[in-house]
Amino acid sequence: MTLGRSRAGHTRWIIASATVSLLVIVPVAVVLANLARDSGGVWEHLAETRLAEYVGNTIFLGIAVTTIATIIGVATAWLLTACRFPGCGVLTWAQLLPLAVPGYIAAYAMTDLLQFAGPVQTALRSWTGWAGGEYWFPAVRSLPGATVILAMSLYPYVFFAARASFLTLPTSVLEAGRTLGRGSLGTFLSVAMPLAGPAIAASSLLVVMETVADFGTADYCAVDTLATGIYRTWLGLDSIVGAAQLSSLLLMGVLVLIVAESVARGRRRFHQTAARDAKSHRRHLRGFAGIGALAACALPVLLGFALPAGRLLWLAVSSWDPADAERLLGHGRNTVALAGISSVLAVSLAVIVVFTKRLHVGRLPRAIAVACRMGYAIPGPVIAIGLLLALGWIDHRINDASRWLRPDSALPGLLLTGSVTALLIGYQTRFLAVALAVIDTGMLRINRKLDDAARGLGARPGNMLARIHAPLLRASLFAAGLLVFVDVVKELPATLMLRPFNVDTLAVHVYQLASDERLDSAAPAALAIVVVGVLPAIVLHRLLARPVHGQARSRPEQPDA
Amino acid sequence: MHEASSADPATPALEIRRLSFGYAKASPVLSGFDLSLERGEVVAVLGDSGCGKTTLLRLVGGLERPGDGTICIDGRLVADARVCMPAERRSIGYVFQDLALFPHLSVIRNVTFGMRGTPRRSRRTEAEHLLASLGLEGMSERMPGTLSGGQQQRVAVARALASRPRLILLDEPFSAIDTRQRERTRELVIGRLRIAGVATLLVTHNQDEADTLADRIVRIGDRDTSHATSPQHSSIADPARAGPVTGNEPRM
Repeated sequence: MTLGRSRAGHTRWIIASATVSLLVIVPVAVVLANLARDSGGVWEHLAETRLAEYVGNTIFLGIAVTTIATIIGVATAWLLTACRFPGCGVLTWAQLLPLAVPGYIAAYAMTDLLQFAGPVQTALRSWTGWAGGEYWFPAVRSLPGATVILAMSLYPYVFFAARASFLTLPTSVLEAGRTLGRGSLGTFLSVAMPLAGPAIAASSLLVVMETVADFGTADYCAVDTLATGIYRTWLGLDSIVGAAQLSSLLLMGVLVLIVAESVARGRRRFHQTAARDAKSHRRHLRGFAGIGALAACALPVLLGFALPAGRLLWLAVSSWDPADAERLLGHGRNTVALAGISSVLAVSLAVIVVFTKRLHVGRLPRAIAVACRMGYAIPGPVIAIGLLLALGWIDHRINDASRWLRPDSALPGLLLTGSVTALLIGYQTRFLAVALAVIDTGMLRINRKLDDAARGLGARPGNMLARIHAPLLRASLFAAGLLVFVDVVKELPATLMLRPFNVDTLAVHVYQLASDERLDSAAPAALAIVVVGVLPAIVLHRLLARPVHGQARSRPEQPDA
Repeated sequence: MHEASSADPATPALEIRRLSFGYAKASPVLSGFDLSLERGEVVAVLGDSGCGKTTLLRLVGGLERPGDGTICIDGRLVADARVCMPAERRSIGYVFQDLALFPHLSVIRNVTFGMRGTPRRSRRTEAEHLLASLGLEGMSERMPGTLSGGQQQRVAVARALASRPRLILLDEPFSAIDTRQRERTRELVIGRLRIAGVATLLVTHNQDEADTLADRIVRIGDRDTSHATSPQHSSIADPARAGPVTGNEPRM
């Protein structure tokens, strides 16, 4: 509160911060504003034909994927926190690897692996002597296939949250459960689970959001969801209003999830009555129990990372065509440029929002931060539609103005929607939240007394940010930039819909080749995305490996939203 | 559910013979430790921090496996170098040094947590009685985090007693309580334990605490005893207060 005295100097920070929040607010508002507009019969057509299927599949995927991902995430986290068995050290960090494989890429690789002419079925036929059609084999390109693929690529979110909270449970509380007559399973269910409950619930809701936002996996598996429906309505039916109306439907579902998530986070955090023991008393699993635990923790990594990444590597090496190198390099350059610019931009904008919140203790800066946080929950296709409408309107007004001012010269054309500007804005809308979350957490670790000291020595806000906070935040800024970079590399639907015609990224390139059933040609680019994706897995592992005391101390000051 | 009173009264409630334990072979935490507790007896194990007091309780409680020696509860072997009955089947009331109350459960649900041998209907009444006898009337619905240190301590004792254990283990039971509350808490707790008539093993580094609470005091040597250069460092119970000495005899 001490900083609240000199409000005048904060105005420009609040204005800057509010401007940043428009990146999220405008596309959302535009999409919702189109709800009542006349779509020229497209909405009625959708309602009669596909809408029920879109909604049904979206809800089914949301529930099924989240259930599977939560069970796997919690079970692996518990086994790897409470027990010791062969391979548990390696498996602990390996649980984060599936995050490196986006769902759509896992779908391509697993389809290639398991399709009729793929290595698995070919081997099966040669062993058994069966001919095609004489046996049943699970199809990847189906609703169950999409469910499993998405669950395997998203469960690490739950693992991450569950493990972090299991690690902060005092050993003695779990041992108290045992001395009071509950076995390991009983203690887990009656003590560990309820205590970790809020954190697990919040991470499960994140999985629901990621699932309903998924475009690539559902599209490839031929599962019609709201996200794929938006794309089709926009591209196939050429109705941006119809797409906006589907978007608002999806958006309202997401808003419900955002509220649920903040409730889950805000639920009473239990007052810790005991400190965690320095020594860990993990239970040794020997014999079959050890092998069972090993298998349970290895299987999701195998399905979510090793098999798809391994298949991509094999495809990339075996079907490598030097003629493709040039094109791959071009897409790689585009991708790195877009991701690099986006991550620098996102980090800078996030610093403004976070610093304003710290500088000016009040409701408005907090509300701005909450609004910016929301962007991550908004599915890529929804952001794309919102921005196409908003920026398209601005483009037209620019052309109108030009026509009026200089009737004889050529029109400027689509300055925003026709260039990478729209794409860069779209990435900010979606991924600013990632940078914000990381930097906000870092900022809370900096003692406020440093601010007071700096102000006392005559530093103005900007000066203080540059000389005190920025250097102390170095690790957070780097981590935030890296996470945004990787998210941009992986992002498919927003890129697909907002990119100018001559700009292809690795993700778009992979999507187009996969749509043409040219999975082997898609492999090198897909593999490149996976390799980039391994980076945040390493960063997250480092964060997890940090001493628990630091986490415990920062607990009462959790970032809002 | 337990046969504390049904077995031959001459059988010790707890009998430890030649118990050894060490995380590393070179520096054992306990070595050749002997101890016996009669029924209803309160024994204090006194020693400096790091001398293996807590380890002793963890071994008796089933949270560690002994390296060597035997532990019998009510005449029944619960642990030796080969077998080790899991903690959840030993029917022991363990009061942890940090109390380890379940922060997500109300006081009453903490206390009833382990009452599986009591019929469901009477669990609550019985738990309320227990809480009242420890001076915790009207606290049933409170959450542990909202209680004072002394109150939390008594809840932990109530929880340990509720399952009618054969043996109570107290780890530095009053160390976390401020001095003003300590006296009253001590009185209430030890009074309640005497009423229950359950054998109690408590470890403490506080001579005064051991003096006031225990029927008998056993001194556990500081770490040096395992390197036993001077035999007088080994276990000597206070002969003035205690009966026959059954302390540890360090073995090299």
